[in-house]
Amino acid sequence: MNKLASLRRTVTRIGALLTGVVVTASCAQNAPQDTWAPKGPNAQMIDDLQKPVFAVAGIVGLIVVVALGWVLWRYKDRGQPIPEQTHGNPVVEITLTLIPALILAVIGVFTVRVIFDLAKTDDTEMIINVTGQQWWWEYDYPVQNEFGIAQPIVTSGQLVIPAGTKVLLRETSRDVIHSYWIPALNGKRDAVPGRIHTLRLEADEPGIYAGQCTEFCGLSHANMRMEAIALSKEDFAKWVANQQAPYVSPAEGSLAKEGEGVFLNQCVRCHQVDGLKRADGTLAIAAPDENVWSGAAPNLTKLMTRNTFAGAMFDLLTPACRPGVWNASPAEFGEKYLAGVGEECLNVNDLRAWLRNAPEVKPMYANPDQLGPTNGKVRGMPNLGLSESDIDKLVAYLLTLK
Amino acid sequence: MIRTGSKFLIGLAALNAVTLIAYLLFVERLAIGGVALSIVFAAVCGLSAVAIIVRDGDDEAQPADAALVGASMWPLVTVVGVVLLALGLITSSAVFVFGIVVVLAGLIEWAVQSWSESASDDPAYNAATRKRIANPIEFPVLATLGVGVVIFSFSRIMLAVSKSTGAVLFLVFGTIVLVGGTLFAVRPGLKRSIVTGLCTLATLGIVAGGIASAGVGLRADLVEAAAEGHYSHRECGPERSKYFDKLEMRTLSLRSNVVATVELRDGKLTAYEFGVQSPTQAITIQRSNPVNVIFRNYDEGEFRLVASPGKAAADAMEKPEELCTQLIPEGAEQSLTLTYAKASIDRGPYSLFVAGLTGQSIEVFVP
Repeated sequence: MNKLASLRRTVTRIGALLTGVVVTASCAQNAPQDTWAPKGPNAQMIDDLQKPVFAVAGIVGLIVVVALGWVLWRYKDRGQPIPEQTHGNPVVEITLTLIPALILAVIGVFTVRVIFDLAKTDDTEMIINVTGQQWWWEYDYPVQNEFGIAQPIVTSGQLVIPAGTKVLLRETSRDVIHSYWIPALNGKRDAVPGRIHTLRLEADEPGIYAGQCTEFCGLSHANMRMEAIALSKEDFAKWVANQQAPYVSPAEGSLAKEGEGVFLNQCVRCHQVDGLKRADGTLAIAAPDENVWSGAAPNLTKLMTRNTFAGAMFDLLTPACRPGVWNASPAEFGEKYLAGVGEECLNVNDLRAWLRNAPEVKPMYANPDQLGPTNGKVRGMPNLGLSESDIDKLVAYLLTLK
Repeated sequence: MIRTGSKFLIGLAALNAVTLIAYLLFVERLAIGGVALSIVFAAVCGLSAVAIIVRDGDDEAQPADAALVGASMWPLVTVVGVVLLALGLITSSAVFVFGIVVVLAGLIEWAVQSWSESASDDPAYNAATRKRIANPIEFPVLATLGVGVVIFSFSRIMLAVSKSTGAVLFLVFGTIVLVGGTLFAVRPGLKRSIVTGLCTLATLGIVAGGIASAGVGLRADLVEAAAEGHYSHRECGPERSKYFDKLEMRTLSLRSNVVATVELRDGKLTAYEFGVQSPTQAITIQRSNPVNVIFRNYDEGEFRLVASPGKAAADAMEKPEELCTQLIPEGAEQSLTLTYAKASIDRGPYSLFVAGLTGQSIEVFVP
């Protein structure tokens, strides 16, 4: 009997502790993927639906839990005789069927309406192609002269959109199913190979909105992140202009120039830098289709205008500089973001670790001895065996890609 | 003491081991044949062990009368299989695999017959026992082989005769089968010899026709198509292609993964990108990602949409092949599946155009 009482006490304490942990976790301040904090009209529509539904579900849940508890307490075994057993009570059964059916019907009407509203695309102002692959997202902006996009822009890691603009993402995947989710801007949408799915995003004001791949997609699924950057229309125009600006080669004799050589020898097999030329003057063109299973690798043109790398797993900004951009007010955000990443704010430790041995810091299928099933092609970035000297040069070079 | 039955099984296991080693050395490693032989080897080893342990069962019950042992064709079949194995080693793996099948079939039948002949002192009972064990396997296998031979022979006939003759033959054969089946069903008392005779005659007729047709070869248009690859490459000119444009599809049931719809209207080519309402003369397609483009013809006449393949690689010997829809009439639509592995700046420019219509094209950006 004492043992049983002791066990009950232990279970009660553990239950109370877990409940406390869950409750206090909901008080977290740094929660960029909070699903209850909409920052755009699409997410607001979802929020307007989920709050009443949550309230109704909460009330129903509370009633059920209280009723269950009361029944357990009221009729617990006290040695009394077993009461007369009955079967069937049409009034109770019909009532308990009708009430949930009515609740679900009401919720269903509003849910269907929101689903149709979210699927609306006829007033789209801008389109962006979003392509998932293990384990990063590629964004390409088709020619759209009204936004100054005279030639396609290809980027990755961070999706840059103009605030207050109805942006239509056309999602697909090059390998397995992924799912795109920026909770502050809209719900989830799967990116499926062989299909194009659409997802509308619109941000109320400038800022960074974090997201996460939400369809298990292999080894580094947990590291497949994304960030949507909303800029004011003026700042977005500046961003577009900069993305289309011609490539500027580092100064002769500089460490960065040597890094350009390393890039041309090693990285350009998969990574494109638009405008980069070889020593003979021909354009250096990446061939990821020959080396990577998905057929694509991140385009590194203007890399230092982004705040992340390696599928947004790592910040390009140091922990000291990052809050300056993330916590900037909407009025100041554009200027801070467009400043890009300079040498003083570069997260050089993570970048060097990535260049030194990428599979060590992000799980990927890049071991050359285990590439039989993919015909020798990697899924992720392999260890290139770069020397520390080469890494120095590459870091210096990458810093010039702004 | 190792008795006769055990010796037989040990010999069988040894032969199996030799076959397995030969297969692995000369045919193919890690293939399904090797796996099958390994399993058979393991099974025969297990049987050998059991036979040795139980001393071939109760020896007292074994009939001593050698007269119980009848003539058997299975040693001969097994030897034929061994010869095929040897031939297969120096000719082709198909002969070798066929040899394995014949050897295994011969050995199994031989083993079953030997086992059944030692079942009792009554030869009739022994024969019945063999049938009870072997017939459920023999009949389906032989029936499958027989039906396979008939179907293969019939297919040779159909490939040799003209299309119209083929249709008539099909109707005739179908009618004969229907009439024969109906006759056998409504006349269950029909003499067995008549039924057997009719079926044998029909089978022999089809097999003979198949052999004769194989000698004649394929009909002319199939020979021509095979030689020129009409069904494997598209003919993308403005003129109607004899084969590629035959029975062109005019409507689409599948509308998945559509990146853009391209319309030909009043002699002008216009694209509508998925999700965008306004027309455009340039579309973007992600590299290394198959997508569909729908082509709609609103003009009088027949037109086809062609996708230019871009430039060949500098070191490539062959020119990239164009992709196109069939010629489609006014009001019809078709889709074209495109995959660009290389960016526009590499192998571009890429474009979509209508064969024979100059000055109209849709630029395709592949970032």
